[in-house]
Amino acid sequence: MKPWRQLGLAALAVVTLSAPVQAADVVIGMRSEPSSIDPYFHNLGPNNGMLGQVFDRLTDWTPGMDKIFGRAAESWKAINDTTWEFKIKKGIKFHDGSDLTVDDVIYSYERADGYEGGNSSFRTYTKGKTLKKIDDYTLHIMTDSPYPLMPNDTTTVMIMSSEAKGTGAADKNKGISAKDFNDGTAAIGSGPYKFVEWKKGDRIVLEKFDGYQGSMAQPWDKITFKFIKAEPARVAALLAGDVDMIDNVPTSDIERLKNEPKVSLSSGVSNRVIYLHMDQFRDSSPFVTTKDGKPMDKNPLKDARVRKAISMMINREAIVERVMEGVAIPAGQLLPEGFFGRSPNLSAEKYDPAGAKKLLAEAGWGDGFGLTIHGPNDRYINDAKIAEAIGQMLSAQGIPTKVETMPKNVYFKRASKGAEGGLPEFSFVLVGWGSGTGEPSSPLKSLLATHDKDKGKGASNRGRHSDAKVDSLLDQALATVDDTKRAALLAETTDLAIGKNQGIIPLHYQVNTWATRKGLKYNPRADERTTGIDLVPAN
Amino acid sequence: MTVAQDNMDVAVAAHGDDRDKFEGVQTPFRRFLSDYCESKLAVIGFFVISAITLVAIFAPLLAPTDPYDLASVSIMDSRLAPGQAMMTGTTAHLGTDGAGRDMVSAMIYGLRISLGVGIGSGVIAMVIGISVGLFSAYAGGRVDSVVMRIVDIQLSFPAILVALILLVTLGKGVDKTIIALVVVQWAYYARTIRGTALVERRREYIESAVCLGLSERRIMFRHLLPNCLAPMIVVGTMQVAHAISLEATLSFLGLGMPQTEPSLGRLISNGFEYIMSGKYWISVYPGIALLVTIVSINLVGDRLRDVLNPRLQK
Repeated sequence: MKPWRQLGLAALAVVTLSAPVQAADVVIGMRSEPSSIDPYFHNLGPNNGMLGQVFDRLTDWTPGMDKIFGRAAESWKAINDTTWEFKIKKGIKFHDGSDLTVDDVIYSYERADGYEGGNSSFRTYTKGKTLKKIDDYTLHIMTDSPYPLMPNDTTTVMIMSSEAKGTGAADKNKGISAKDFNDGTAAIGSGPYKFVEWKKGDRIVLEKFDGYQGSMAQPWDKITFKFIKAEPARVAALLAGDVDMIDNVPTSDIERLKNEPKVSLSSGVSNRVIYLHMDQFRDSSPFVTTKDGKPMDKNPLKDARVRKAISMMINREAIVERVMEGVAIPAGQLLPEGFFGRSPNLSAEKYDPAGAKKLLAEAGWGDGFGLTIHGPNDRYINDAKIAEAIGQMLSAQGIPTKVETMPKNVYFKRASKGAEGGLPEFSFVLVGWGSGTGEPSSPLKSLLATHDKDKGKGASNRGRHSDAKVDSLLDQALATVDDTKRAALLAETTDLAIGKNQGIIPLHYQVNTWATRKGLKYNPRADERTTGIDLVPAN
Repeated sequence: MTVAQDNMDVAVAAHGDDRDKFEGVQTPFRRFLSDYCESKLAVIGFFVISAITLVAIFAPLLAPTDPYDLASVSIMDSRLAPGQAMMTGTTAHLGTDGAGRDMVSAMIYGLRISLGVGIGSGVIAMVIGISVGLFSAYAGGRVDSVVMRIVDIQLSFPAILVALILLVTLGKGVDKTIIALVVVQWAYYARTIRGTALVERRREYIESAVCLGLSERRIMFRHLLPNCLAPMIVVGTMQVAHAISLEATLSFLGLGMPQTEPSLGRLISNGFEYIMSGKYWISVYPGIALLVTIVSINLVGDRLRDVLNPRLQK
């Protein structure tokens, strides 16, 4: 071997050997793994959080969800009643070196809107919007009626490179399949971090993108997300120093970790409300039975008084204190205090067994009936235990209730379209909703508006609550440009749909807790996302 | 317990100096009993498992509360430490779990499910396994090859994997768990009895029965089967223990029993969540109960194998 070649090898060895010991690498232990790297495959918290680091959006939220800032967009304004103009920042590069222009944005929105075969689509945010290119860096988004929430909606759909190539069928999803993203070939974004690899069930690795032009921080060179589903194992990994941070700290361990000198905790109220849907569309509901479990041809849940009585039977304070160990806030509507468009009139329903009994009798169901509550067991904090606690409370007050919980991938499919004709299968379900737009119109639209696939309304309305007045108030609110007036209209809609109609029963707002090793700090995100960008050294 | 006491007397007597007394009246059962009682551990195992079985049978009478009645379980009682009083005034001697169930009651009922599922699935699997195995051995030839290849395929899959897949498709409940366990277990019985039956089949008494023109069914069940039973009893005991631990594993993984009717495995997994925060009792006590049950059954099974195996006879 020639001497110069040896020298070269030695130099190479020095470089490669020193690379892994950089201080700026971080390992994060996460509970939930994304279901895909394809940004339009599944509108799901873990996906949106993980991929938001790789792909830019036009706009995005600050961690506390109190302000919208521009990511790919430099500025935006409504130029007339039905048109919004977005100016794209110049000089944004994709990870493959190409420029981000309006073409990429339009391409991305088209792929999101026409996505086939995904789990839950972004169509709620793309329906009814027409994108028009003015020049490479000017985009117009047009709607049929005034649409004040445009900058909120653009915080959802991610922007991919229109030059990404895939191996899928040409007529489906622009020829790029989810597989092409998962192995990295098509995962080309313009965000602060590059996608390196995804070992399913184990880890996702991201690497700092040196050509990043945006305003988001890049505190680490390499971020490794390890997926540790078991709660005690995640805590143990942090205590052992295997990971630098964990998310979804189990509520039962918070007290103990507070006293642990090696660990610091950060927590924040999320935009997620945990609530119950009740079957309001079937005259005979499959999981509403007589007291001894026989099928019944009447459905008491159609009566708002019965729904209210059920709400009064639930001791929310007890759930918060005993199940959530104090780490949650009893809920009476869709968003916790501090968010835009809340109703000032609704607070959490008081626990009132006597009142509930009276109300049930008034509705003609004084003798009670049988129910089954269905819920996921791996989606929300303590979800299965909440379902069981509600089962206990209702059973003790004359509504014998069975509890059935299952993994989320089975549960959501059945809860949304498990019955014949694509109808919701269950009668009484426990679910959560995090409002991605930071105000109540998105949950009102998805959970309480009359189910209408074509209009993109009631998409997750698993109880099929339907009230023409709620629909028209909501439409009016959505088209009101003036913020104060819109807030008042949204509050009025909430008052009617939840306060009067009892369309859903809100239980509590989730409070999320992250634990880091000492010396680091996590900026708690109201959207519950766990990212490497919000993990920063504590000074 | 008087019955058990009597047995103990017989055991001690048979083992001690009075042995001679029995020589004149030695029946196969007496002989079996005296052989069995030579191992003290096996005797202890037998009494423990009898006690556990009695507790399981009389669970509703013995348990202080009904842990499966949602209306009488309250979340306000959750995670009480051992010895604290619940809202109803009952003392939770071993504490309560995350949903507010008294651990003593939950464990007694849990044992009931575990034993019920273990023995139930064991008996059904044994009946199926014996029928298939005997038939296969008696028929011989191509039938035998086909049946035994099916058994081979079945045995080449890990039991837990097959049971998991079955339960994911079937859903939750005692009946479904039993079905899943029967499916993974029958092959063991079939394989064992076929082996024994093949040997017995060449014996003279079978040949003479054939010469007498007895029906095949009669030969199989009246002549062949009784002579193959000893190894079946051994395999049966071991398989019950295996089924119990398999059920516990499945419940631990969240399959098998519904959430509101926890078996021992489910109780252990519920408590696993709290183990880092010092609430050890939710996992540890059901764990001990499971351990004791399985060890006792295995002790009995081990001894039975020694006693019933002619090759190990002195």
